[in-house]
Amino acid sequence: MSRFPAERRPDADGRRLAVRAQALYLANLLILPGLAFAALLWLRRRRAGVPLLAQAHLDAALHASLWALALLPGVAGLLVLVAGLRAPATWMTLILWVVSMHTALVLWGLLALAAALAGRLPPPPWRGRISG
Amino acid sequence: MQYLSQKVAKPYFVAAIGLFAGQILFGLIMGIQYLVGDFLFPAIPFNVARMVHTNLLIVWLLFGFMGASYYLVPEEAERELESPLLAKILFWVFLIAGALTVVGYLAVPYASLAKLTGNDVLPTMGREFLEQPTITKVGIVVVALGFLYNVGLTILKGRKTVINLVLLTGLAGLAVLFLFSFYNPDNLVLDKFYWWWVVHLWVEGVWELILGSILAFVLIKVTGVDREIIEKWLYVIIAMALITGIIGTGHHYFWIGTPEYWQWLGSVFSAMEPLPFFAMTVFAFNMVNRRRREHPNQAATLWALGTSVMAFLGAGVWGFLHTLAPVNYYTHGTQITAAHGHMAFYGAYVMIVLTIISYAMPMLRGQTAANSRRSQVLEMWSFWLMTVSMVFITLFLTGAGILQVYLQRYSAQPLPFMVVQEQISLFYWLRLIAGLVFTIGLGAYIASFFVGRTEPEAVAMKSVPVTA
Repeated sequence: MSRFPAERRPDADGRRLAVRAQALYLANLLILPGLAFAALLWLRRRRAGVPLLAQAHLDAALHASLWALALLPGVAGLLVLVAGLRAPATWMTLILWVVSMHTALVLWGLLALAAALAGRLPPPPWRGRISG
Repeated sequence: MQYLSQKVAKPYFVAAIGLFAGQILFGLIMGIQYLVGDFLFPAIPFNVARMVHTNLLIVWLLFGFMGASYYLVPEEAERELESPLLAKILFWVFLIAGALTVVGYLAVPYASLAKLTGNDVLPTMGREFLEQPTITKVGIVVVALGFLYNVGLTILKGRKTVINLVLLTGLAGLAVLFLFSFYNPDNLVLDKFYWWWVVHLWVEGVWELILGSILAFVLIKVTGVDREIIEKWLYVIIAMALITGIIGTGHHYFWIGTPEYWQWLGSVFSAMEPLPFFAMTVFAFNMVNRRRREHPNQAATLWALGTSVMAFLGAGVWGFLHTLAPVNYYTHGTQITAAHGHMAFYGAYVMIVLTIISYAMPMLRGQTAANSRRSQVLEMWSFWLMTVSMVFITLFLTGAGILQVYLQRYSAQPLPFMVVQEQISLFYWLRLIAGLVFTIGLGAYIASFFVGRTEPEAVAMKSVPVTA
C-alpha cells in the first residue's frame, strides 16, 4: 500500500470521507446491499470538490462495487442459466464461487478501510484516480 | 531481550514446534486413510490417528500460549518472572504427561487405557477432544494452576497493562473452563451442553483474548505505534469477542435436545461472531500502515498480518457459512465443519503462536532483534506455502462438504454415508496434495531456524515519516 504523495497529505476531512466511502462499500457487501451503494453514489456526487485522498477512495469504492456486481450476481446468474439448478455440480461451483469471491471482495474492503484510516491510498487492484 | 527470565519461553516454543510437526504427520496419515481405508491398520486406526491429531494440536497450542506468556509478561510487567524455576519444572511435567498420553493412545487400546488410568474412579474419558485420561487432565490442572500463579504474581507485582491483564483474563478463563471436562453427566444432552463450555468457550471465547493480547504485543513492538491506540483497539476486539462468543455457544445447541430458542439465540449471536475478526484485520493493517519504524523482523510482521486475515477467513467467514440454524440443519457434521475447523485453528491460533515465536525466537537465541535476511526469506516462504495450502485444504473440504450435503441430505434419493464418501474422493485426493505442500512449508519453517545462522542480522530499524 503506497503512501500518499507528500505534498498532498490528506487533511482530517479527506480521511473522514475516505473512511465513509470504504465503510459504505463494505456495508453494500455485508448488510445493506443496494442501499449502501446508493449512499456511495450520493457521497460521490461532488467528487471534484473533495480532498484528493477522498477522491481516490470514492473512485476505488465505486469501481470495486461495480466489479462486485459483475462477479457475484452477474457470474452466479450466468452459471445458473448455463448449467441449471438441478445438477449438484452447479450448487458446488456456485457456492464455492460466491463464498470465495465475496470473501476476497470483503478482504479488499478491509484493507482499503485500514488504508483510509491511516490516510493512505487504496490497495490494488482498485487504486482510484486523483485529479485536480 | 530485556529480562533474563524471558528465556524460559524458549523450551516451550521448541516443544510447540516439535508437537506441531507430530500433529501434521498424523494429519497426513489420516489424509491417506480417507483414500486407502486400511492404511497402517491395525497399528494406527483412523479414530486413534484423529485423536492424536487433535490432541497434539491442543497441547502444542497450549505450549505456545505458555511460552508467549513467559516471554511477554516480564516485558509488560517490567520485572522478572516470579519463578523461572517453576516454569522450567512445569514445562517438563507437561511435556512428559503429554508424551505419555500420546504413547498411551498409540500403544494401548482406548478402553484398556481408560481402565489402566483409573477412569472408573472419575469417568471423564471418551469425549471428542477431551479423550485424555483423567490422570492427564488432573496433570493439566496442576500445570495450569502453577502457570497461573507464576504469571499472575508477576503481573500483580509489576506494571499492569491492558495487554497483560487481558492475557491473564484469557489464561484464567482457559483454566477455569477446563474444569468442565471433569463434569461428565449420564444424560447425553447435559453432557454435550457442558462439553461445549470447554470446547466452544475456549476457542470462541477466552482463547480470543489470548490471541488479541499476543497480537497487540507484537504490533506494538514491530510498528512502534502508541500503546494507547493499540489498547483501545484491543478493548473493542475483546468486548466484541465476548459479547458474540458467549451466547454464540448456542450454535452448538441446535440439534442436541436443548430448547428451540437456542436456534434463534445461537443464530443471531454467532452471526455476529465475525465482527471481532473483522475489527482485528482492520486493526492490524491500520497499525502497520501507521508504523513509526521499520522493524528488521519482517517475517514477524508478515505472520501478524497473516494471523488477522486468516483468522477472519477461517473463524469469521467459514464459521458464518454454516452457523445459521436453517443452514446448519443440512451442514452439521459434514466436511464443511472440517473446512471451518482447519482454517479457523490455523488462522487464529497456529498463526498467532508462530507470530510470537517468529518475533521472540531471534532474541531468545541471542540476536538483537531479528534473524538474518536469508533465514527470514525462508521463513516467509514457509508462511506462504503453509497459508496458501491451508486455503486450498479449506476450499477442497468445502467443495467436498457441499457435495456431501447435496447427495446425502438434500437430494430426492439421499445416498448412504459411505457411498457419498466414494463420490467425493476426488476432493480428498486434492486435499492430500495440499496437505503435502503444507508439510513442505512446515519443513521450510523448521529449516529457517538453521539457515543463515552465521550471517549478519537483517538491517536495524529506522524511523519512517508518519502520514497525516
